[in-house]
Amino acid sequence: MSNVRNTGEKRLRRVHYYPGCSLMSSARDFGTSLFQMFRLMGTWVEPLEDWNCCGASPAHSVNPDYATLLAGRNILLAERQGIDDLYVVCPSCFVRLRTAEKILATDASMNAKLAKACGREYEGGVRLKFTPEILSDAPSVFEKAVVNPLAGLRGVLYFGCLLTRPEWITGFDIRPYEKKLKKLVNVLDVETLDWSHSKQCCGSHLAVTKPDMVDGMVDRIRDHARRAGANCIIAFCPLCQVNLELRGKEVEPLPVFYISELIGLAAKLPGHEGWVKKHLVDPRPLLNSLGLV
Amino acid sequence: MKVDHSFFEEVSARSGQDLSRCFHCMCCSGGCPVAHGMDYLPNQILRMIQLGMRQEVLESRAIWLCIGCYACVTECPNRVHIPYMMDALREIALHEQVRIGEPDIWAFHREFLKQVGKRGRIYELEFMARYKLATGNLFQDAVMGMKMFRLGRLELLPSSVKHKEIMKKIREACDE
Repeated sequence: MSNVRNTGEKRLRRVHYYPGCSLMSSARDFGTSLFQMFRLMGTWVEPLEDWNCCGASPAHSVNPDYATLLAGRNILLAERQGIDDLYVVCPSCFVRLRTAEKILATDASMNAKLAKACGREYEGGVRLKFTPEILSDAPSVFEKAVVNPLAGLRGVLYFGCLLTRPEWITGFDIRPYEKKLKKLVNVLDVETLDWSHSKQCCGSHLAVTKPDMVDGMVDRIRDHARRAGANCIIAFCPLCQVNLELRGKEVEPLPVFYISELIGLAAKLPGHEGWVKKHLVDPRPLLNSLGLV
Repeated sequence: MKVDHSFFEEVSARSGQDLSRCFHCMCCSGGCPVAHGMDYLPNQILRMIQLGMRQEVLESRAIWLCIGCYACVTECPNRVHIPYMMDALREIALHEQVRIGEPDIWAFHREFLKQVGKRGRIYELEFMARYKLATGNLFQDAVMGMKMFRLGRLELLPSSVKHKEIMKKIREACDE
């Protein structure tokens, strides 16, 4: 069996994930750093076979049924592929998939539509999980792996919007994980600071259509991060990461790291030298000044 | 004065929301990160629906500026899901072919969904090019785009689902 490691008693856990579009392109480095991190945790990652875009904001914005079927096809695929737990990386994808799951479970006519398009109804056999759930279980694993403590980095955790809304809306509650995620960052020797803007929206797709407006939103977030004394922002969502580095005009920019990227830097995981080169706000001056790269 | 309730009922039914629960505490508008750019605040839109102001609501900019970050519904003491209300309003606006309040945002959604319909996944290079052509904002962010390209953050080739016909079937199932 492929999921048993020959070297010993320990069984490799197999994790199936939904990649989503940004993880495969603009946030590819987030993707690779996540895979390295999963490997460090002793898990074997496999993507959902033949996945399609969850519909993101545009689908539900103009045609909610289309959004349900686009996301629904993915959970149907997972069900057919015998996947029990499907891990979703991007908060927006997660909410889309979770919303579709809820609708398909309660609205028979939508499930019939799905069957008409995809040949089968969704029976409800897949548990949708969110990456922080798996991440927060493992601080001790990461603590042992740290070879390059990131002392001197002072970060603010930026959860963004969808990740942090109440459970009755999104189907996920961040609160049990918040402390654990903070601890996870702390074991890498990164100092975390309390601040007021961890749950403010980054501007999402308005970054393309209303750049001036999002400049203002990002400036405010940056300003509050700076006032808290941070020299970097730590993000969990591929879209937030891009927006927070791309937009903003008035306040001096801060590099925005993915959580998995920091783990990669601290544990010197394969490929970490490449990730730091791909930021729109180059983090190397900061990392160099602290002697971290 | 007689108020026309048909619009109120149409939006309530389509969004699955009981819009009569709103007592205009303005928590939604206070928490909204884009309220400062809207022509009408979220609770004002809701009030206008209650008053039957169909055309003003459907042609407003506010319904397109809503990102769906769920800040408003998190704040709402009556649990009115305003983002679902906004979704329903955009759907009706497109269906009735009114003047679109924010054509660029509609172009963004439209071009995005064309990508999804075509190959099931987003090909960012083509998507951005088509968005620019549709809006005429050819040079906006050209420098940033080049930078992302140089950094290898844009894929050169598109990827797609195995059988593209499935995307067409999904689209058709919704349009019936």
